[in-house]
Amino acid sequence: MSIFTNIIIALIIISFAGYEIYKVAQKSKKGKCAACDYKCEAKMMAERAKRQNG
Amino acid sequence: MTTVALMGNPNTGKTTLFNQLTDSYAYVGNWTGVTVEKKMGSIKHTEIVVVDLPGIYSLNPITKDESVAINYLLQNDADVILNVTNANQLKRNLLLSIELLEFGKPVILALNMIDDLKRSGIYYDIKTLADKLGCVVKTTNARNHDGIEQLREEIKNVPVENLPHTNLDLNYPSEIKAEINKATKSLVDNYQISEHFASWLTIQFMNKNKVVRQYALKNDFKPLLDKADMFDKNEFEEKIFQTRLSFIEETLNEARENISSTSNVEITSKIDKVVTNPILGLPIFIAIFYLMFKLSFDWIGTPLSDQLNAFLSGPISHYSDIFLKNIGALPFLRSLIVDGIIAGVGGVLTFIPQIMVLFACISILEDSGYMARAALVTDRVMQAIGLNGKAFIPLIIGFGCNVTGIMAARTIEQPKERLITTLISPFMSCSARLPIYSLFVAAFFPKNQALIVLSIYFLGIIVALAMAKFYQLIFHVKENTVFIVELPQYHLPRFDIIWRGTWDKSKGFVRKAGTIIFAGTVLIWLLSNFGPSGFVTNIDKSFSAILGQFLLPLFVPIGITSWEAISALFTGILAKEVISSSMMVLFHTTSQTTLIATFGQLFTPISAYALLVFILLYVPCFATIGTIKSETGSTKWAVYSVFSSILIAYALSFIIFQVGSLFL
Repeated sequence: MSIFTNIIIALIIISFAGYEIYKVAQKSKKGKCAACDYKCEAKMMAERAKRQNG
Repeated sequence: MTTVALMGNPNTGKTTLFNQLTDSYAYVGNWTGVTVEKKMGSIKHTEIVVVDLPGIYSLNPITKDESVAINYLLQNDADVILNVTNANQLKRNLLLSIELLEFGKPVILALNMIDDLKRSGIYYDIKTLADKLGCVVKTTNARNHDGIEQLREEIKNVPVENLPHTNLDLNYPSEIKAEINKATKSLVDNYQISEHFASWLTIQFMNKNKVVRQYALKNDFKPLLDKADMFDKNEFEEKIFQTRLSFIEETLNEARENISSTSNVEITSKIDKVVTNPILGLPIFIAIFYLMFKLSFDWIGTPLSDQLNAFLSGPISHYSDIFLKNIGALPFLRSLIVDGIIAGVGGVLTFIPQIMVLFACISILEDSGYMARAALVTDRVMQAIGLNGKAFIPLIIGFGCNVTGIMAARTIEQPKERLITTLISPFMSCSARLPIYSLFVAAFFPKNQALIVLSIYFLGIIVALAMAKFYQLIFHVKENTVFIVELPQYHLPRFDIIWRGTWDKSKGFVRKAGTIIFAGTVLIWLLSNFGPSGFVTNIDKSFSAILGQFLLPLFVPIGITSWEAISALFTGILAKEVISSSMMVLFHTTSQTTLIATFGQLFTPISAYALLVFILLYVPCFATIGTIKSETGSTKWAVYSVFSSILIAYALSFIIFQVGSLFL
């Protein structure tokens, strides 16, 4: 594995981590259910219903 | 598309019924106030949407979450109302049913928990009820899935057009009736609204329904607004209530059939005599929690966790390292994956057995009906210091997650009391803090693991109560609202409900491991491998060491002498589980056993306990801070919560360490 591939893999891992932290910060700003990481069944259905109703 | 609005009193099993009708799962608990926002789901293979609304006692809202239901009726066009009632408490439940029947939409009345009713020796003739109320009546027992299929078929197969529009016309006193007719006619003629809706609006208006009065004001319904004073002066509200009550009593007397068997009631009352006993109640409550921690830490959780840890820190990390070496991964990438991700994320995942056992215990307590008793028992203690027992429910929900605990505080009527509960919720020890407790109790208190964790949990409750008292004095809270909690009959917990509750909560934990715990672990790996001069091989020159060492003098008085612990505390703001994964990374180990041995050199039992207390009370996690902000509607309270909790955490752990050091 070349140095380049090593760096790319490390960068992917770090960027994913950075994105997750960003996502948590954004969700936390909204408070409420959005702060919960677990996408429960009720939450998914509510989203689906929202989409269906336009 | 057909919309079915699910409405009923709190704790009537609406959420269980919703889950079964829609083949979905939403949080179920055997106490009031579980549904705080409406949930939607659709019945499989149909275009029928079911909306689960928060439980209410009447359409006149007292609390914030109760207004969700009445607003739904005013703003949405539900095709059918499915009114779920507790068959055992029909007299009170029907007060809401009457308001819904007067609304005019087709109503299906579900008499839920029908088995409990039968066990109490009473039954109702369904046909008599249906005739008197003028709606479809079905019996269900959601916990055993009894009657659910029939109810689902009724909703699925009977076209909405064929369902009878309810036409309940109560025999209100003539003066009220005359006013209803007059206002209804005027509203229909001048405002183009249907007769049913106009008549319902008038009755609700007479009933001093706050939301309806605002609605009338907004739409300038003169026939109502002009008469408001007259309605109030003549006490129409009271007269309407009395008419409804007499109608309910008359209906129930006519429909009642006596059958034998009162065994469940007897058993429930026998158990209650002991568990809610003024003297024994509290010790039993503490003993139950102790048993719960014993199961999680000593008997089941830890032994399983040890095996999982041996597997992760042994074969998994060893072979991953060899594999990475073979494919030519450079040392820094290997370190990131093995010392960072596997050690950190894996380190947290090894606590799954403890967490699952604890969640299972909480689910059993909720489903059996004990939690309502726990609220009653603690109410006595809380009343003794002038607090409302209702606050206990959000607090105990906070044991799972502070975010949901704060959301549950919406069930508290008084804004000041609600704010107080929101502010003290983060002191409740949420499940995310379990991994770090588990690590430290295994290291320093191997023989008293359950007792130490119990003491931390109770310290959280004590601090929360003391702060609540303090806020009450500061905010001058004088009005003392009455705490009413329904005591459901005990029933043997059902395995599927317990399993789903446990799985649901544990799934959230596993998901967190793949997202925020992973991210926190990578962050701490970066901070401990990079310094001002770039990539460092000596961790003492890394950013995390610089930060930890800078703050070290502040932490020495509370017994923390390792900068690694301080840096780990910072990452805990992302999510509390990250503290333990950060420790794994900072101490460069994939094995808990090695970490425990390292702790032995850095902490004493007393400083370890002081650190646990600090972790219990210091800064809430991001999500909790965000929820405090959104629920109080103010950044000020969120910021206040952060600083006040640091101060309290510091003060308490300082006292514990300093005083403890004198004796040990």
